[in-house]
Amino acid sequence: MDHLADQFLAEGRELVQQAADDLAALADRPDSPDLIDGVFRAVHTLKGSTGLFDLGPFGEMLHVAEDLLGALRKQALAAHPDIIEALVLCIDQSGRWLDAFEAKGALPPDAREVGARLRNDLRRWLGDPGVTEALPTESSDRSWLGPFLDAQATLPEGDLVAIRYVPRADCFFSGDDPIAMLKAVPGLCALAIGARQPWAPADAFDPYQCNLVFDALTSAPRAEAQAALRLVADQVQIVEVARGPADVGTVREGIARSLRIDAGQIDALGTIADEIVVANNVLAHLAAQARRGVPGEALAQGILASHLDLDRLVGRLHRAVMRVRLMPLAALFRRFPRLMREIGARLGKDVALTIEGETIEVDKSLVDGLFEPLLHLLRNAADHGIEPAAARRGAGKPARGTIRLGAQRIADQVVIEIADDGKGIDPAGIRRTAAARGLMPEAALADLGDADVLDLIFTPGFSTAETITDVSGRGVGMDAVRTAVLRLGGRIVLSSTVGAGTNVRLSLPVSVVLSNVIVVSCAGEIWGVPMDMVVETVRIPADRVMAVRNSRAFVLRDVVVPVFELSALLGLASGEAPADLRLLVVQRADGLVAVAVDEFTDRLNLLLRPMSGLLAGMPGIAGTAVLGDGRVLMILDLAELIG
Amino acid sequence: MSVRLDGDIIRLEGRCHVEDAEPLLVLLQAQPGRVVDCAGAETLHTAVIQVLIALGCPISGETSDGFVRRWVAPALTKEPARP
Repeated sequence: MDHLADQFLAEGRELVQQAADDLAALADRPDSPDLIDGVFRAVHTLKGSTGLFDLGPFGEMLHVAEDLLGALRKQALAAHPDIIEALVLCIDQSGRWLDAFEAKGALPPDAREVGARLRNDLRRWLGDPGVTEALPTESSDRSWLGPFLDAQATLPEGDLVAIRYVPRADCFFSGDDPIAMLKAVPGLCALAIGARQPWAPADAFDPYQCNLVFDALTSAPRAEAQAALRLVADQVQIVEVARGPADVGTVREGIARSLRIDAGQIDALGTIADEIVVANNVLAHLAAQARRGVPGEALAQGILASHLDLDRLVGRLHRAVMRVRLMPLAALFRRFPRLMREIGARLGKDVALTIEGETIEVDKSLVDGLFEPLLHLLRNAADHGIEPAAARRGAGKPARGTIRLGAQRIADQVVIEIADDGKGIDPAGIRRTAAARGLMPEAALADLGDADVLDLIFTPGFSTAETITDVSGRGVGMDAVRTAVLRLGGRIVLSSTVGAGTNVRLSLPVSVVLSNVIVVSCAGEIWGVPMDMVVETVRIPADRVMAVRNSRAFVLRDVVVPVFELSALLGLASGEAPADLRLLVVQRADGLVAVAVDEFTDRLNLLLRPMSGLLAGMPGIAGTAVLGDGRVLMILDLAELIG
Repeated sequence: MSVRLDGDIIRLEGRCHVEDAEPLLVLLQAQPGRVVDCAGAETLHTAVIQVLIALGCPISGETSDGFVRRWVAPALTKEPARP
């Protein structure tokens, strides 16, 4: 997935969310022009950006939705609940298509039929089929290009990209500012402004119909021009002018991580930076005083005050930077209502999802990493927790089941809770299953308290569902959920009351920073070493290592590098000397050092937790991390270990 | 107010938004040939610029919006030099 697609997905999800929110509010206040406007803008912008990719049915559906919303806006039509429902379906489908596009890079095979059906549902309300204008298709008419290029007195060297941007006549109503759009195009080297139709005489001129045509040339690559104009992609033609090297496709260099940041936060960072500059000037002044020989006492006062100032600023800077990584849980939670509607429909159960605490801000890695685990838990709650309506009525409960997805912030932790009012989990049933599966000896099982019995659900391979449905997993789920939560530095606890429901609590640190760790084995155990400590890994024949006095060394590109055995450093028994040595080359203040290990096993992104309590002072251990399978990995500080 | 009539001159000031297009048009329709002074304009919405282009009114002063000055101003009609 390239950068453009990532951006499209991120923005697309926001727009879908905005439209969904406004539609939900519209159901209560069907005459609110602001809400209709909000949905219209979101749909309009989303439609514009679908033009960037091969998403025909998606764009066509949104086009009709936009027409319908346009009619609502002009009050040619009242926002009847059925119209809102049709629009909700269309927005839900947009969410699904975004998911499909993310997963497969294309719409699912049935998109054309699904899109046509939704389009017809929407069009029904428009009545007059003439209202729908033909969808602008990518024009292959390049006749504008020649005259435009000829009109340029000089053209810069190198490859150029020509852009023809014909804003829609009603673009001002949608909030577009075409010239502002063009400002975002990098490397602009020519711009010609023309008129689509001859200008009307002054007294008949309509200032709110856009009649402009923009032809532009840029030295930026096509993809950048496209990215800048992505929101109006359906109104833009982009043509490469000069012949450059063949497009070899996009080569991804690593995985670009992007973060959408509120401009206000950048401004805040800028303000702090300015203040640091001021504080720095004060220090310069003090340094000059020191040189002039101002008495120590007076100078110390100044330095102290200046230090306090800087201390405060550095603290603010740190907090501000951490804040930048934070994003509201809404980005995560809001994907669930639609999915729950679908799951409920598939299971034939009436399930309501209530969401609380979505404004709580957490680290982006949590938002990214919790989607799958939470979806799994919600699915389980609907499938295994909530009973069929008849059974619920029999038990004196409302026929409609409720699942609550809530979050609250407790100190530096966020606690996410998924609670259902279903049938709960019967410990006796778990005991039976655990015994049947041979997970534990029966005697040990009998000694276990009920709370510990519930914990067995997280054991790999455990599944209590008597029938496997296509909604819930196949017994591989809950252990994967626990692992995902552990990886993010969190804990998961399950509690349940038979007949009243089940409650799953996830406690996670609000801020998480993952480190890249290389996993090595030595004397039959595994250890982790932070990648940023390792300069390189080398594999050499054992005979290249020579004895230098009472230590050993080898030559790496003309540099003599001392070699240490990890087993010796850790005080472990060393095995037989292998024919090949595997070395981690580490940079220390006094030069390179190599540490021999038995095997390089893996490279992982893990959450490092520093040692605490009695172990905090342990030399050579930087911390611990939890592996995917639940094992704890000790992270070594090799430089310190060598001493 | 981003559009202001100052004697015979229409002055565009500050940030000129989409909704400033109409008052500008009304002033230009009322007395064709009025000069529009952009010196005080910080940003100009496309709708405002479209009015300037469509009516071909003479422009004086340069906006502080660098993009418009560099790329859009050539498409506008310069105020004829006064003797």
